[in-house]
Amino acid sequence: MIETVVSLQPAFILHHRNFRESSLIAEILTRDFGRFTVIAKGVRTPKSKLGPFIRPFVPVLLSIAGKSELKTLTHIEPWQSAPKLHDLALYSGFYINELVTYFLHPFDPHPEVFLLYQNALSELSNTLELEPVLRVFELNLLTQVGYGLQFDVDNLQHPVSPGKKYCFNAESGPVESEQGDFAGSTFLALEARSFPDRTTLTEAKKIMRSAINFHLNGKPLKSREVISKILKHSHS
Amino acid sequence: MIRQGLLGQLISDLCALPGVGPKSAQRMAFYLLQRDRGGAIRLAETLLSASKKIAYCEQCRTLTEDKLCRLCADKSRDSSMVCVVESPADVWAVEQAATFKGVYFVLHGHLSPLDGIGPEEIGLNLLENRLAAGDVGEIILATNSTVEGEATAHLIAEMAKKYQVKATRIAHGVPMGGELEYIDSGTLSHAFNGRRQV
Ligand SMILES: [Zn+2]
Repeated sequence: MIETVVSLQPAFILHHRNFRESSLIAEILTRDFGRFTVIAKGVRTPKSKLGPFIRPFVPVLLSIAGKSELKTLTHIEPWQSAPKLHDLALYSGFYINELVTYFLHPFDPHPEVFLLYQNALSELSNTLELEPVLRVFELNLLTQVGYGLQFDVDNLQHPVSPGKKYCFNAESGPVESEQGDFAGSTFLALEARSFPDRTTLTEAKKIMRSAINFHLNGKPLKSREVISKILKHSHS
Repeated sequence: MIRQGLLGQLISDLCALPGVGPKSAQRMAFYLLQRDRGGAIRLAETLLSASKKIAYCEQCRTLTEDKLCRLCADKSRDSSMVCVVESPADVWAVEQAATFKGVYFVLHGHLSPLDGIGPEEIGLNLLENRLAAGDVGEIILATNSTVEGEATAHLIAEMAKKYQVKATRIAHGVPMGGELEYIDSGTLSHAFNGRRQV
C-alpha cells in the first residue's frame, strides 16, 4: 500500500478502543476516503491535545499518515458543532455506527454515505420519531453500497398494490401472498421513504431487519442486542 | 538478542505488563535473578496467591480477597450512598480526593453497544437488586465523561428513577480524555461536591 497523507479531512469517529498504555485504535468514517482504522498514539494522557476530540458523533477534521493499512492519526480538531444525542437517540447512533462499520469496506470512498450519516445524526438529535430516521438511513445505505431494493414492484414485476398482502424475500423483494405478514402499503411507504403510521413503521422495521440480516450473512449486529437489553433495564 | 529458555520466557512474560518494553523487562529479570532471589520468590508467591484468591467483592465488585471488600465491610461507612465508578482504580482516585464516606459499585467498564457490552456485562443486574432492596438512598454517578460513560450514567439514572432513588452526577465536564483517572485530586474533589441531581 502506498504512503497516504490526508490533511484536515471531514470525518466522524465510529468506534474506538484502548490500545496499550496510552493509545487508541479508532474506526473512522471520512468524507472522501471512506471508512478505515487509525491508531492515535499517546492520546490517553492528561497532556494530550488530541485525546478530547476522539469521541463518537463529533464532526471533526483530521489528518492522517502512514504506509500500512493501519494509518496514524496526526491531527484532529473540531469541525462543526456536535449533534446532541441522548437516551434512545444516542443508542440509535451506536446502531448506525455499527451498520456503517459493517457495510463499508475499508478505503472504499463513499462521500454520499458520509452525507447520509451526517444527516441521520442531525435528524436523530432533532426528533422524537427516531424510527423513520433509522429506516431511511438503512434504505439509503443499502442502496449506496449496491444492495438497493425495489419495493414498488413484486417478484413477478407487477406493481405492488397497497391493499394486498405480501411476504418479503431479501433477494426478490415483495412476494404477493394471502398469508403475507406485510401490507402492500408498507412496501410503498419504504419506496417513498415516508411512513404514515405506527403499523407501517412496525412492519417496515421487520422488513428492513430481514434485508439487513440477509446481507450480514449471519454476522450478528452487537448493538441491536445490547440496545434491547438497555431498554429492558431502563423502562419498567 | 535471541530469547531462549526460562530467561527468555521470563522477559517476554514481563513484557505483558503495561508500560514495560523489552529493555525494562530485561533489566527487571536480571535484577531479580542476580541481586534479589528472595524477592523474586516472594514476588512469584504473592502473584500466584493474588491471582488465585482475589476476586470481585460480592457487594461492590471491586477487587478483594474477602467476600466483602474493606470498604463494604466498614460499618462506619454509609452504605445507603453508592458511588458508581468504571474501575477499581477509580475507587482509589475518589478515596484519595473526596471526603466520601459511602460505598462504591464498580462496573469494570461501560456500556459499549458495538463491543456487545450491555447492562449485564457491567453488573447492572446486581446493582438493580440493590436498588430494588430499598437500602440505597443516593446513587452518585462517577463514570467517565466519555460518550459511553455518559450513556452508562444515563441508564443507571433511569434505573434509579424506577426505584425512586435519588441519582446525582459528578460535575466533571469534558476534561482531557474524560477519564476519571486523569483528573487531579483537587478537581475531582470539586466535581464530587458539585454533583447535581439527574
Ligand atoms: Zn465492596
